[in-house]
Amino acid sequence: MKKQVIKLDINNRIYEVLVSPTDLLVDVLRKQLGFTGTKKGCGQGDCGACTILVDGKAHLSCLMLAVSSEGKKITTIEGIANQETGELHPLQKSFLDHGAVQCGFCSPGMILSSMALIDENPNATEEDIKHALEGNLCRCTGYVLILEAVESYVKALSQGEV
Amino acid sequence: MGKMYEVSNKYNNYKEYEREFTEVGRSIPRLDGPAKVTGKVQYTDDLVLPRMTYGKILRSPHAHANIKSIDYSEALKLDGVLAVITGEDCPIPYGIVPHNCNEHALAVGKVRNWGEGVAAVAAIDEATAEKALELIKVEYEVLEAIVDPRESVKRDDLRIHENHPNNIAYEGTQVYGDPDKALKESDHVIEREFYSSYITHAFIEPQSAIADFDPNTGKLHLYATCQVPHYTHQQLSKVLELPMNKIRITVPLIGGGFGGKGVASQADFCSSILSRKLGRPVKITYERNEVFATNNGRHPCYMKFRMGFDKNGKITAVDFNNLMDGGAYSGWGIVVLFYTASMVHIPYMVPNVRFEGKRVFTNKPTCGAQRGLGGVQPRFAMEQLLDEAAEHFGMSPYEIRKLNAAESGYTAKSMMYVPHTEYKKCLDEVVEKSGYLEKHGKLPFGKGIGLSGGYYISGTSYTLYLSYKPHTVATIKIDEENGVTLFCGATDIGQGVDTVMAQMAAETLGVKTEDVKVIPRDTELSTFDLGTFASRLTFATGWAIRQAAERVNAELFPVAASLMGCRGDEVAVKDGYFYSIYERGSKRQNKEVKWTDVVTMYIESNGPLTCSGQFTPPRRKGIQQGGNIGHSPSFGFSAQIAEVDVDLETGKVNVVKITEAGDCGQPINPMSVEGQVHGSIQMGLGQALYEEMQIAPDGKFLNPSLHDYKMPTIRDMPKIDASIVEAFDPSAPYGGKESGEGPIQPTIPAIFNAVYDAIGIRFTEMPLTPEKVLKAIKAQQNNK
Amino acid sequence: MNILHEFEFFKPKSKKEALELVKSQGSKAKVLAGGTDLIIQMKEKMIKPDAIIDISDLEELKGIKCKEGKGAEILSCTKLADIEFNADLQKKYPALTHAVGQLGSNQVRVMGTMGGNCCHSSPAAETPAPLSALGAKVVIESVDGEREMTIEDFIQGNRRNDLKEGEILTKFILPEPVKNSACRYGHIGLRNAMEIDCANMAVNIELGEDKESIKSVKLVMGSVAIRPLVSQAVPALLVGKKLTEELVIKAGEAAQSEAKPISDVRASAEYRKEVIGALARRLVKEAYEAAKEA
Repeated sequence: MKKQVIKLDINNRIYEVLVSPTDLLVDVLRKQLGFTGTKKGCGQGDCGACTILVDGKAHLSCLMLAVSSEGKKITTIEGIANQETGELHPLQKSFLDHGAVQCGFCSPGMILSSMALIDENPNATEEDIKHALEGNLCRCTGYVLILEAVESYVKALSQGEV
Repeated sequence: MGKMYEVSNKYNNYKEYEREFTEVGRSIPRLDGPAKVTGKVQYTDDLVLPRMTYGKILRSPHAHANIKSIDYSEALKLDGVLAVITGEDCPIPYGIVPHNCNEHALAVGKVRNWGEGVAAVAAIDEATAEKALELIKVEYEVLEAIVDPRESVKRDDLRIHENHPNNIAYEGTQVYGDPDKALKESDHVIEREFYSSYITHAFIEPQSAIADFDPNTGKLHLYATCQVPHYTHQQLSKVLELPMNKIRITVPLIGGGFGGKGVASQADFCSSILSRKLGRPVKITYERNEVFATNNGRHPCYMKFRMGFDKNGKITAVDFNNLMDGGAYSGWGIVVLFYTASMVHIPYMVPNVRFEGKRVFTNKPTCGAQRGLGGVQPRFAMEQLLDEAAEHFGMSPYEIRKLNAAESGYTAKSMMYVPHTEYKKCLDEVVEKSGYLEKHGKLPFGKGIGLSGGYYISGTSYTLYLSYKPHTVATIKIDEENGVTLFCGATDIGQGVDTVMAQMAAETLGVKTEDVKVIPRDTELSTFDLGTFASRLTFATGWAIRQAAERVNAELFPVAASLMGCRGDEVAVKDGYFYSIYERGSKRQNKEVKWTDVVTMYIESNGPLTCSGQFTPPRRKGIQQGGNIGHSPSFGFSAQIAEVDVDLETGKVNVVKITEAGDCGQPINPMSVEGQVHGSIQMGLGQALYEEMQIAPDGKFLNPSLHDYKMPTIRDMPKIDASIVEAFDPSAPYGGKESGEGPIQPTIPAIFNAVYDAIGIRFTEMPLTPEKVLKAIKAQQNNK
Repeated sequence: MNILHEFEFFKPKSKKEALELVKSQGSKAKVLAGGTDLIIQMKEKMIKPDAIIDISDLEELKGIKCKEGKGAEILSCTKLADIEFNADLQKKYPALTHAVGQLGSNQVRVMGTMGGNCCHSSPAAETPAPLSALGAKVVIESVDGEREMTIEDFIQGNRRNDLKEGEILTKFILPEPVKNSACRYGHIGLRNAMEIDCANMAVNIELGEDKESIKSVKLVMGSVAIRPLVSQAVPALLVGKKLTEELVIKAGEAAQSEAKPISDVRASAEYRKEVIGALARRLVKEAYEAAKEA
């Protein structure tokens, strides 16, 4: 199969990778580039664990061809905390403080889906949050504390606390 | 060394009665949290070893078939394929319960469920491995499949396992008291049949294993998604015919288990066998449909209940007949069968009990252990029967539960001993918080409220093979370089035991939780632990950690005492300081000395400091076959109230709110407890309303995906009002008991009782699909 | 199985190039618009195309024109989320934006397109029913030109449609809603999200000048036949009449009598029929009330 070198813009860095057309973005991220924070839970777009941001919007990397992703800004969970200091993003912190993380396997996807929502709609309501997270499955938390974590961050944001 | 402390402090254990905790009881965000939210944490499939190869398993499209031949010559010719194995490479059977094990890493001679592994390939990459699978030719002689245990038990002519007549895996009877006489003399007897459904754990992380066999040392290092590394260790040793000391299992972080990773996976064995063949690491990660094919989910049960009451509403007897669908193999089956038996004895006092149970083989993926195993099924029945009885007696469901509830110190007929319970408090709390008494029976048609209770074990009293060794060992190493390092082989599957163990160690040692390093989940580095099941960890590791930490203190207290100038038995430790509980120093403060200074002094004068503790649960002799299953050092309790809206036109049940109150004793980490409760409610709600693995009559799995297997999404969750009742179990190391499996027990019957309250129809089968509900509503309307 | 069969990948830079590629590659090629259905089908080896023509980033095929009095045009590769959250569309075609919002998950709506949803032609698809109720047409282009047809003519069966070799669906044309009319959409699934509908429906009602009698009604059912099913019986029953409770019930029965659902892993045929009745009753009422306010 013909392989080609493509350039991927991930977390504000350009990576050159050799891929074949059949390579899925999730696999390129995880296996070739070591962005293992992007998880693979079902491979069929049902669980949302592989969620990444593409041009700021939540995408399922298990249903994306790597070759289709050139020229787009990709953000993985590794790109959310402060890149220089390593300090957690307040949304990440909110997840921890609210007990919204148990096994942690869905957490990267949950956080990225929430980020995409709030970047677009900083005043997101409970309904908006549920709408944005309905494709991110979690089996540990029962979602309630995840919802609280996101709501609390939205509130802090609106009050200028973060 | 430390003798004075040990003798004297036994009578001067101020901490025990004051229960003034500094680390225990804190809602500490889990210690591995930052690594989880940044994607740094490593799960098994995230790991890559040098020269690693990739394995894939070829799975049977048939549910029941003899394997006539397997030809993998073409696969071996494919460029990049390194090895192929079949059942011939793994003839030794394994199983979590050793005395009736019958599983194989790959099918030997016959497949017994859809998706059973028949061959495995290792190749240089996944794509090649997958291509190779397509080149393996398997000739099957397809046999009739049986998927219903009620039929299976009648089909001696079609044995799924040759040595099991009538397809009965095992059966058992237990009789306590005289149930027949008691039922005859009862004022009211209810007889009813129930069916509990076929569901699975649906953790988000698929199983994965990386085996790394070193031909030079003959040693195997397996990295695996395994919540029972010890039992897997044993089984690997058996199947591979390698001594246990030649095998090391490391469990990276686990993305959810719920019991589903409580058995060795075929990936564990296949990767190990392939790696031994190749002398290179082999990784096998399951696709989602493989997770379903090998799922070990909850046993469906066909249950017949007779429950008797005296004229006051007190339970006189329970007669329980359980036909359990075991699926293709044994797995945890015998344990689950007798758990269902034991679960009728608590939380209510039942003076006479008969249990008759059979676990039957069918051509489905094997059933096993899932959160609250063996409890969910009979609880579903009994809590509904209680509501029915209450209605008969004109009592509230709350009243009948209070009347029958067991109290601390209760010994059930099965000899299960309840050292501590606040179950009644749980009932009081949910009833008050939800306004149950004002709402029950008074809401408009279509709206309803339902109450249920439940309990679960805090560990088991027995190992799965005959052994008298401790169930858990904890070792604490104190040094100047690392401070406190806690070694314990307990397995964090997402529930947060790593953090809880650190909290318990920190509590007794008087340091901060964040300063305790935990070395868990490794059969070589960590100390012995049986594994994560039966909600055993907080209780079991708690005792071992407390014992180890007290031994450390016994060493350090005399040193601290001599540094402060006081008696050894008046030393206490907290927040990184040893202090005298009596003597005051300058500034009128209690005399104190820094913990690290004492450690330095100790090590310089005595050398290294390492202490171990252990826990072996108390044994209470079971008096009947299988009667020791269900015995536990203590029990956690929970009560829940569900409020539902039933859409009368579509039959859709919407759970609006769940009010929960739990007795987990002293919560070690209340935030983690809340997480366990919420997760339990979610899983219960899923089983009550949506989830079911669907198997066609020919044994094909119809919905092996997270699309068609419907676990609740964020949109399906009700409001949850969960609380922890004030409780302290004096038999528990820090007063704490289980909280991860008890809270799922009441969820399903609470929802079913609420639906009854809403529309006056008693449902006895899960799940409560809109279809079933609408059909029943229509039938009800036609009868009017 | 998650490994894709080998294929050649094309990413045309213009519509023209895309149309040429579709022609030259013929039936061995598949067009990738969002990938949320296509990649899954490829993973499951339901299809093994030799070529993929990725039009997902073709700006020429993206965009929404929705002006007062002029209906709307939605280009086929417009992301579903862009349709869902488009304020003009929400105002003028709430049935469509609501249906789009109920499709899959947020990620699927961000990636997927309405062109893809219709060309996938699943009987359970969400958008065909409201599009049909709204009288939408599709524009199909090839290097030889373009043709137009109604959505119900386009979708011909389970995963079958009128797309011929060398063609791409490029545009949806929605007529301006007529005066005194309103359209509503509803669906029934097991869970409250991430569902493949066990039934869905859109109802478009136009009232007469009196704002009470029904001038026309179009009721379209999804997931109860191999293609969107346009009711004949409901218009026959309702046109010319003022809506009463009795008529609502009869409309439900009429819709039920026409539905030809199948039983599958998601629901039985009987249940699908039942809920068609419920959906028809609810949506006829809702659309009627909304039309009064329109």
